[in-house]
Amino acid sequence: MSARIVAVLNQKGGVGKTTTSVNLTHALAKLGKKITVIDFDPQSHLAVSLGVVDPQKSGIDRVLLEGVSLAQQLISVRKNLNLVVAGPRLQEIEQLMDGGARSGDLLRKALLDGHRDEDFIFIDCPPSSGVLVANALFAADEILVPMTSDYLALQGLSHLMGTIKKFESALKRPYKISLVMSRYIPTRRISKEVLSVIQKYFPGQILATTIRETALLAECPSFGKTIFEYRPGCRSARDFTALAKDFLEGRMM
Amino acid sequence: MAEKDEDSLIGFDPLAWMHRSDFNQDSQRDDVDKLESHAASAFVSENAEVPGQAMNHDEEPTIASESFPSEQGERAILVLEPVLNIQNVALLHQRLTQMLSNFEAIDIDASGVMMIDTATLQLLLILKQTAIGLQKSISIDFPSDKFIEASELLGIAEMLEVDQVASGFF
Repeated sequence: MSARIVAVLNQKGGVGKTTTSVNLTHALAKLGKKITVIDFDPQSHLAVSLGVVDPQKSGIDRVLLEGVSLAQQLISVRKNLNLVVAGPRLQEIEQLMDGGARSGDLLRKALLDGHRDEDFIFIDCPPSSGVLVANALFAADEILVPMTSDYLALQGLSHLMGTIKKFESALKRPYKISLVMSRYIPTRRISKEVLSVIQKYFPGQILATTIRETALLAECPSFGKTIFEYRPGCRSARDFTALAKDFLEGRMM
Repeated sequence: MAEKDEDSLIGFDPLAWMHRSDFNQDSQRDDVDKLESHAASAFVSENAEVPGQAMNHDEEPTIASESFPSEQGERAILVLEPVLNIQNVALLHQRLTQMLSNFEAIDIDASGVMMIDTATLQLLLILKQTAIGLQKSISIDFPSDKFIEASELLGIAEMLEVDQVASGFF
Protein backbone atom coordinates (compact mmCIF):
# COMPACT_ATOMS: atom_id res chain seq x y z
CA MET A 1 0.00 0.00 0.00
CA SER A 2 1.40 3.42 -0.85
CA ALA A 3 0.56 6.46 1.20
CA ARG A 4 -1.12 9.52 -0.29
CA ILE A 5 1.40 12.33 0.00
CA VAL A 6 -0.25 15.66 0.69
CA ALA A 7 1.60 18.98 0.73
CA VAL A 8 -0.14 21.56 2.92
CA LEU A 9 0.96 24.57 0.96
CA ASN A 10 0.45 28.28 0.67
CA GLN A 11 3.41 30.62 0.44
CA LYS A 12 1.43 33.29 2.27
CA GLY A 13 1.89 33.30 6.03
CA GLY A 14 -0.92 33.22 8.57
CA VAL A 15 -3.42 31.32 6.44
CA GLY A 16 -3.64 28.35 8.80
CA LYS A 17 -1.22 25.84 7.27
CA THR A 18 0.10 24.61 10.60
CA THR A 19 -3.26 24.78 12.35
CA THR A 20 -4.73 22.72 9.52
CA SER A 21 -1.81 20.27 9.54
CA VAL A 22 -2.01 19.72 13.31
CA ASN A 23 -5.74 19.38 13.69
CA LEU A 24 -6.63 17.70 10.42
CA THR A 25 -3.97 15.04 10.90
CA HIS A 26 -5.09 14.42 14.48
CA ALA A 27 -8.70 14.23 13.32
CA LEU A 28 -7.75 11.70 10.66
CA ALA A 29 -5.72 9.72 13.19
CA LYS A 30 -8.71 9.66 15.53
CA LEU A 31 -10.77 8.29 12.63
CA GLY A 32 -8.30 5.39 12.47
CA LYS A 33 -6.07 6.50 9.63
CA LYS A 34 -2.32 6.03 10.00
CA ILE A 35 -0.63 9.37 9.50
CA THR A 36 2.88 10.73 9.30
CA VAL A 37 3.20 14.48 9.36
CA ILE A 38 6.46 16.19 8.41
CA ASP A 39 7.34 19.59 9.83
CA PHE A 40 8.88 21.13 6.72
CA ASP A 41 9.09 24.64 8.10
CA PRO A 42 12.40 25.59 9.76
CA GLN A 43 10.38 27.57 12.33
CA SER A 44 9.22 24.19 13.76
CA HIS A 45 5.76 25.45 14.65
CA LEU A 46 4.10 22.15 13.83
CA ALA A 47 6.26 20.25 16.31
CA VAL A 48 5.65 22.86 18.99
CA SER A 49 1.91 22.66 18.37
CA LEU A 50 2.09 18.91 18.93
CA GLY A 51 4.05 19.35 22.16
CA VAL A 52 7.55 18.54 20.84
CA VAL A 53 9.70 21.51 21.83
CA ASP A 54 13.36 20.40 21.70
CA PRO A 55 14.91 22.79 19.12
CA GLN A 56 18.06 20.67 18.78
CA LYS A 57 16.26 17.44 17.94
CA SER A 58 17.10 16.30 14.43
CA GLY A 59 14.39 15.31 12.00
CA ILE A 60 13.79 15.75 8.29
CA ASP A 61 17.00 17.85 8.11
CA ARG A 62 19.14 14.76 8.71
CA VAL A 63 17.05 12.74 6.29
CA LEU A 64 17.67 15.24 3.51
CA LEU A 65 21.23 16.29 4.32
CA GLU A 66 22.75 13.07 5.63
CA GLY A 67 20.60 10.38 4.06
CA VAL A 68 19.28 9.03 7.37
CA SER A 69 16.13 6.97 6.80
CA LEU A 70 12.80 8.60 7.48
CA ALA A 71 11.75 5.69 9.68
CA GLN A 72 14.56 6.51 12.11
CA GLN A 73 13.25 10.03 12.59
CA LEU A 74 9.61 9.18 13.29
CA ILE A 75 8.26 10.24 16.66
CA SER A 76 4.98 8.76 17.78
CA VAL A 77 3.09 11.78 19.08
CA ARG A 78 -0.45 10.48 19.26
CA LYS A 79 -2.20 7.19 18.50
CA ASN A 80 -1.91 6.61 14.71
CA LEU A 81 0.02 9.88 14.33
CA ASN A 82 3.78 10.09 13.75
CA LEU A 83 5.75 13.30 13.51
CA VAL A 84 9.03 14.08 11.78
CA VAL A 85 10.36 17.32 13.21
CA ALA A 86 12.12 19.95 11.08
CA GLY A 87 15.46 19.80 12.85
CA PRO A 88 17.93 22.64 13.40
CA ARG A 89 19.60 22.31 9.97
CA LEU A 90 16.51 22.34 7.75
CA GLN A 91 17.14 25.95 6.78
CA GLU A 92 20.39 24.81 5.12
CA ILE A 93 18.34 23.16 2.38
CA GLU A 94 17.35 26.60 1.13
CA GLN A 95 21.03 27.33 0.49
CA LEU A 96 21.62 24.01 -1.28
CA MET A 97 22.25 25.09 -4.84
CA ASP A 98 25.36 23.05 -5.63
CA GLY A 99 23.42 19.82 -5.94
CA GLY A 100 21.59 21.14 -8.99
CA ALA A 101 18.67 18.92 -9.87
CA ARG A 102 19.11 16.70 -6.88
CA SER A 103 18.50 19.44 -4.32
CA GLY A 104 14.85 19.58 -5.42
CA ASP A 105 14.40 15.83 -5.33
CA LEU A 106 15.65 14.97 -1.86
CA LEU A 107 12.29 14.60 -0.13
CA ARG A 108 10.68 12.55 -2.91
CA LYS A 109 13.54 10.06 -2.74
CA ALA A 110 13.44 9.94 1.05
CA LEU A 111 9.74 9.10 0.97
CA LEU A 112 10.29 6.32 -1.57
CA ASP A 113 12.73 4.70 0.80
CA GLY A 114 11.41 2.06 3.18
CA HIS A 115 8.18 0.15 3.53
CA ARG A 116 5.94 1.92 5.92
CA ASP A 117 2.24 1.51 6.44
CA GLU A 118 0.88 5.05 6.54
CA ASP A 119 -2.37 5.94 4.83
CA PHE A 120 -1.25 9.56 4.48
CA ILE A 121 1.94 11.56 4.68
CA PHE A 122 1.32 15.26 5.24
CA ILE A 123 4.02 17.86 4.58
CA ASP A 124 3.51 21.12 6.46
CA CYS A 125 5.29 23.55 4.12
CA PRO A 126 6.99 26.82 5.05
CA PRO A 127 5.48 30.17 4.01
CA SER A 128 7.93 30.67 1.17
CA SER A 129 8.58 29.41 -2.33
CA GLY A 130 12.18 28.22 -2.33
CA VAL A 131 13.97 24.88 -2.46
CA LEU A 132 11.97 23.43 0.44
CA VAL A 133 8.69 24.06 -1.33
CA ALA A 134 10.15 22.67 -4.56
CA ASN A 135 10.99 19.49 -2.63
CA ALA A 136 7.46 19.29 -1.29
CA LEU A 137 5.99 19.77 -4.77
CA PHE A 138 8.18 17.08 -6.31
CA ALA A 139 7.24 14.65 -3.55
CA ALA A 140 3.51 15.34 -3.29
CA ASP A 141 0.65 13.60 -5.06
CA GLU A 142 -1.79 16.24 -3.98
CA ILE A 143 -1.84 19.74 -2.59
CA LEU A 144 -4.04 21.05 0.19
CA VAL A 145 -4.19 24.84 0.16
CA PRO A 146 -5.43 26.54 3.34
CA MET A 147 -7.00 29.87 2.44
CA THR A 148 -8.17 32.76 4.52
CA SER A 149 -11.07 34.78 3.22
CA ASP A 150 -9.39 38.14 2.74
CA TYR A 151 -8.35 39.94 -0.38
CA LEU A 152 -4.58 39.57 0.03
CA ALA A 153 -5.00 35.83 0.40
CA LEU A 154 -6.66 35.84 -3.04
CA GLN A 155 -3.64 37.66 -4.40
CA GLY A 156 -1.39 35.06 -2.77
CA LEU A 157 -3.50 32.25 -4.22
CA SER A 158 -3.01 33.68 -7.68
CA HIS A 159 0.76 33.61 -7.21
CA LEU A 160 0.62 30.09 -5.78
CA MET A 161 -1.44 28.79 -8.71
CA GLY A 162 1.11 30.25 -11.08
CA THR A 163 3.86 28.30 -9.32
CA ILE A 164 1.80 25.09 -9.22
CA LYS A 165 0.96 25.33 -12.92
CA LYS A 166 4.65 25.70 -13.76
CA PHE A 167 5.41 22.56 -11.79
CA GLU A 168 2.52 20.69 -13.41
CA SER A 169 3.76 21.70 -16.79
CA ALA A 170 7.34 20.80 -16.00
CA LEU A 171 6.53 17.46 -14.33
CA LYS A 172 3.88 16.65 -16.96
CA ARG A 173 1.37 15.61 -14.33
CA PRO A 174 -1.53 17.46 -12.76
CA TYR A 175 -1.84 17.66 -9.00
CA LYS A 176 -5.02 16.95 -7.20
CA ILE A 177 -5.64 20.34 -5.59
CA SER A 178 -8.04 20.91 -2.70
CA LEU A 179 -8.63 24.12 -0.82
CA VAL A 180 -9.70 24.51 2.77
CA MET A 181 -11.24 27.75 3.95
CA SER A 182 -9.56 28.42 7.27
CA ARG A 183 -9.84 31.24 9.80
CA TYR A 184 -13.26 31.87 8.24
CA ILE A 185 -15.35 34.62 9.79
CA PRO A 186 -18.88 33.95 8.54
CA THR A 187 -20.27 37.27 9.71
CA ARG A 188 -17.98 39.30 7.45
CA ARG A 189 -19.23 40.21 4.01
CA ILE A 190 -15.71 40.10 2.57
CA SER A 191 -15.43 36.46 3.71
CA LYS A 192 -18.46 35.47 1.67
CA GLU A 193 -17.31 37.42 -1.36
CA VAL A 194 -13.81 35.96 -1.31
CA LEU A 195 -15.29 32.48 -0.94
CA SER A 196 -17.57 33.18 -3.88
CA VAL A 197 -14.61 34.21 -6.04
CA ILE A 198 -12.68 31.09 -5.07
CA GLN A 199 -15.70 28.89 -5.83
CA LYS A 200 -15.80 30.39 -9.31
CA TYR A 201 -12.24 29.31 -10.07
CA PHE A 202 -12.12 26.08 -8.07
CA PRO A 203 -15.50 24.39 -8.48
CA GLY A 204 -15.60 21.05 -6.72
CA GLN A 205 -12.19 21.63 -5.17
CA ILE A 206 -13.04 23.41 -1.90
CA LEU A 207 -13.58 21.09 1.05
CA ALA A 208 -17.18 21.39 2.22
CA THR A 209 -16.46 22.41 5.82
CA THR A 210 -15.09 25.85 6.57
CA ILE A 211 -12.82 26.17 9.59
CA ARG A 212 -14.18 29.12 11.48
CA GLU A 213 -11.91 31.53 13.33
CA THR A 214 -11.99 30.98 17.06
CA ALA A 215 -9.86 32.04 19.98
CA LEU A 216 -9.42 28.41 21.02
CA LEU A 217 -7.54 27.52 17.85
CA ALA A 218 -5.09 30.32 18.57
CA GLU A 219 -4.68 29.20 22.17
CA CYS A 220 -4.00 25.48 21.88
CA PRO A 221 -0.47 25.57 20.33
CA SER A 222 0.93 27.22 23.44
CA PHE A 223 -0.06 24.14 25.42
CA GLY A 224 1.25 21.70 22.80
CA LYS A 225 -2.25 20.35 22.37
CA THR A 226 -4.49 19.83 19.39
CA ILE A 227 -7.98 21.24 19.54
CA PHE A 228 -9.29 17.75 20.40
CA GLU A 229 -7.20 17.74 23.55
CA TYR A 230 -7.45 21.41 24.45
CA ARG A 231 -11.23 21.71 24.19
CA PRO A 232 -12.84 18.48 23.01
CA GLY A 233 -16.27 18.92 21.52
CA CYS A 234 -15.94 22.65 20.90
CA ARG A 235 -16.99 24.22 17.61
CA SER A 236 -13.48 24.10 16.20
CA ALA A 237 -13.03 20.45 17.14
CA ARG A 238 -16.30 19.69 15.38
CA ASP A 239 -15.18 21.71 12.35
CA PHE A 240 -11.99 19.68 12.05
CA THR A 241 -13.77 16.38 12.51
CA ALA A 242 -16.15 17.34 9.72
CA LEU A 243 -13.23 18.51 7.58
CA ALA A 244 -11.45 15.18 8.06
CA LYS A 245 -14.57 13.36 6.86
CA ASP A 246 -14.82 15.72 3.87
CA PHE A 247 -11.18 15.00 3.06
CA LEU A 248 -11.63 11.25 3.22
CA GLU A 249 -14.90 11.20 1.31
CA GLY A 250 -13.98 13.91 -1.22
CA ARG A 251 -16.91 16.07 -0.10
CA MET A 252 -16.57 19.49 -1.69
CA MET A 253 -18.55 22.74 -1.84
CA MET B 1 -8.63 42.62 -15.78
CA ALA B 2 -11.35 41.62 -13.41
CA GLU B 3 -15.00 42.27 -13.92
CA LYS B 4 -16.06 44.91 -11.40
CA ASP B 5 -19.42 44.60 -9.73
CA GLU B 6 -20.21 47.95 -8.13
CA ASP B 7 -21.49 46.34 -4.92
CA SER B 8 -18.64 43.88 -4.65
CA LEU B 9 -15.86 44.21 -2.09
CA ILE B 10 -13.51 42.51 -4.54
CA GLY B 11 -11.99 45.14 -6.80
CA PHE B 12 -9.34 43.69 -9.06
CA ASP B 13 -9.73 39.92 -9.35
CA PRO B 14 -6.21 38.48 -9.06
CA LEU B 15 -7.35 35.04 -10.27
CA ALA B 16 -8.87 36.31 -13.51
CA TRP B 17 -5.88 35.07 -15.52
CA MET B 18 -6.93 31.49 -14.76
CA HIS B 19 -9.94 31.86 -17.05
CA ARG B 20 -8.05 33.54 -19.85
CA SER B 21 -8.27 31.59 -23.08
CA ASP B 22 -4.79 32.72 -24.06
CA PHE B 23 -3.27 31.14 -20.96
CA ASN B 24 -0.53 29.16 -22.62
CA GLN B 25 0.93 26.01 -21.16
CA ASP B 26 3.95 26.27 -23.49
CA SER B 27 4.89 29.66 -22.18
CA GLN B 28 4.58 28.24 -18.69
CA ARG B 29 6.92 25.44 -19.65
CA ASP B 30 9.43 27.99 -20.84
CA ASP B 31 9.21 29.68 -17.49
CA VAL B 32 10.28 26.55 -15.69
CA ASP B 33 13.92 27.51 -16.14
CA LYS B 34 13.20 30.59 -14.12
CA LEU B 35 11.60 28.79 -11.21
CA GLU B 36 12.44 29.79 -7.70
CA SER B 37 14.35 26.56 -7.42
CA HIS B 38 16.64 26.17 -10.40
CA ALA B 39 16.74 22.54 -9.37
CA ALA B 40 13.24 22.10 -10.71
CA SER B 41 13.97 22.30 -14.41
CA ALA B 42 17.05 20.14 -14.22
CA PHE B 43 15.12 17.58 -12.22
CA VAL B 44 12.42 17.44 -14.83
CA SER B 45 14.80 16.80 -17.68
CA GLU B 46 16.38 13.96 -15.76
CA ASN B 47 13.19 12.34 -14.55
CA ALA B 48 10.77 12.06 -17.41
CA GLU B 49 9.25 8.92 -15.92
CA VAL B 50 7.54 10.67 -12.99
CA PRO B 51 4.19 8.89 -12.73
CA GLY B 52 1.07 10.83 -13.70
CA GLN B 53 -2.05 11.25 -11.68
CA ALA B 54 -5.42 12.43 -12.92
CA MET B 55 -6.73 15.65 -11.49
CA ASN B 56 -9.99 15.08 -9.76
CA HIS B 57 -12.67 17.35 -11.10
CA ASP B 58 -15.49 14.87 -10.84
CA GLU B 59 -17.08 15.98 -7.59
CA GLU B 60 -20.23 18.05 -7.94
CA PRO B 61 -20.38 21.23 -5.88
CA THR B 62 -22.47 20.86 -2.75
CA ILE B 63 -25.10 23.48 -2.06
CA ALA B 64 -25.48 24.44 1.58
CA SER B 65 -28.90 23.68 2.96
CA GLU B 66 -30.89 25.93 5.26
CA SER B 67 -31.14 23.41 7.99
CA PHE B 68 -29.94 19.90 8.32
CA PRO B 69 -29.14 17.37 10.98
CA SER B 70 -25.42 16.93 11.48
CA GLU B 71 -23.80 13.59 10.89
CA GLN B 72 -22.73 13.34 14.49
CA GLY B 73 -26.04 11.72 15.41
CA GLU B 74 -26.82 13.41 18.68
CA ARG B 75 -26.21 16.92 17.44
CA ALA B 76 -28.22 18.95 14.95
CA ILE B 77 -27.38 22.12 13.12
CA LEU B 78 -29.84 24.81 12.14
CA VAL B 79 -28.84 27.69 9.91
CA LEU B 80 -31.04 30.71 10.63
CA GLU B 81 -32.62 32.68 7.78
CA PRO B 82 -31.39 36.27 7.20
CA VAL B 83 -34.79 37.78 8.13
CA LEU B 84 -36.54 36.45 11.22
CA ASN B 85 -39.85 37.97 12.23
CA ILE B 86 -43.33 37.23 13.54
CA GLN B 87 -44.39 35.90 10.14
CA ASN B 88 -42.04 32.95 10.28
CA VAL B 89 -41.62 32.44 14.00
CA ALA B 90 -44.31 29.71 14.12
CA LEU B 91 -42.46 27.66 11.53
CA LEU B 92 -39.18 28.14 13.35
CA HIS B 93 -40.85 27.13 16.61
CA GLN B 94 -42.16 23.96 15.01
CA ARG B 95 -38.75 23.08 13.57
CA LEU B 96 -36.86 23.76 16.79
CA THR B 97 -39.34 21.80 18.89
CA GLN B 98 -38.91 18.85 16.60
CA MET B 99 -35.13 19.09 16.70
CA LEU B 100 -35.11 19.43 20.46
CA SER B 101 -37.07 16.24 20.84
CA ASN B 102 -34.82 14.33 18.44
CA PHE B 103 -31.34 15.54 19.36
CA GLU B 104 -29.24 16.03 22.47
CA ALA B 105 -27.71 19.26 21.22
CA ILE B 106 -28.56 21.89 18.65
CA ASP B 107 -26.07 24.29 17.09
CA ILE B 108 -27.80 27.34 15.70
CA ASP B 109 -25.75 29.15 13.08
CA ALA B 110 -26.75 32.81 13.36
CA SER B 111 -24.01 34.20 11.14
CA GLY B 112 -26.35 35.19 8.33
CA VAL B 113 -28.99 36.99 10.39
CA MET B 114 -29.65 40.49 9.04
CA MET B 115 -32.87 41.23 10.92
CA ILE B 116 -34.41 39.58 13.96
CA ASP B 117 -37.45 40.63 15.97
CA THR B 118 -38.33 40.19 19.62
CA ALA B 119 -40.68 37.28 18.92
CA THR B 120 -37.84 35.21 17.49
CA LEU B 121 -35.44 36.22 20.24
CA GLN B 122 -37.99 35.21 22.86
CA LEU B 123 -38.46 31.89 21.12
CA LEU B 124 -34.70 31.25 21.21
CA LEU B 125 -34.52 32.22 24.87
CA ILE B 126 -37.36 29.88 25.82
CA LEU B 127 -35.76 27.14 23.74
CA LYS B 128 -32.48 27.57 25.61
CA GLN B 129 -34.21 27.46 29.00
CA THR B 130 -36.28 24.44 28.00
CA ALA B 131 -33.12 22.67 26.82
CA ILE B 132 -31.43 23.29 30.18
CA GLY B 133 -34.41 21.70 31.92
CA LEU B 134 -34.08 18.68 29.63
CA GLN B 135 -30.29 18.55 30.18
CA LYS B 136 -29.78 19.25 26.51
CA SER B 137 -27.70 22.00 24.97
CA ILE B 138 -28.38 24.83 22.57
CA SER B 139 -25.56 26.96 21.28
CA ILE B 140 -25.84 29.97 19.04
CA ASP B 141 -22.82 29.93 16.77
CA PHE B 142 -21.15 32.95 15.20
CA PRO B 143 -24.00 35.41 15.74
CA SER B 144 -23.98 38.31 13.31
CA ASP B 145 -23.56 41.86 14.56
CA LYS B 146 -27.29 42.41 13.99
CA PHE B 147 -28.16 39.38 16.09
CA ILE B 148 -25.91 40.51 18.93
CA GLU B 149 -27.20 44.08 18.74
CA ALA B 150 -30.84 42.98 18.92
CA SER B 151 -30.27 40.58 21.79
CA GLU B 152 -28.36 43.24 23.70
CA LEU B 153 -31.19 45.73 23.16
CA LEU B 154 -33.61 43.20 24.61
CA GLY B 155 -31.23 42.51 27.49
CA ILE B 156 -30.87 38.79 26.79
CA ALA B 157 -27.42 38.63 25.15
CA GLU B 158 -25.87 37.09 28.23
CA MET B 159 -28.65 34.55 28.64
CA LEU B 160 -28.32 33.56 25.01
CA GLU B 161 -24.53 33.54 25.37
CA VAL B 162 -24.02 35.57 22.24
CA ASP B 163 -21.38 38.04 23.33
CA GLN B 164 -18.22 37.91 21.20
CA VAL B 165 -16.16 35.92 23.69
CA ALA B 166 -18.83 33.31 24.31
CA SER B 167 -19.32 32.98 20.57
CA GLY B 168 -15.76 31.90 20.03
CA PHE B 169 -14.35 35.03 18.44
CA PHE B 170 -11.09 36.40 19.75
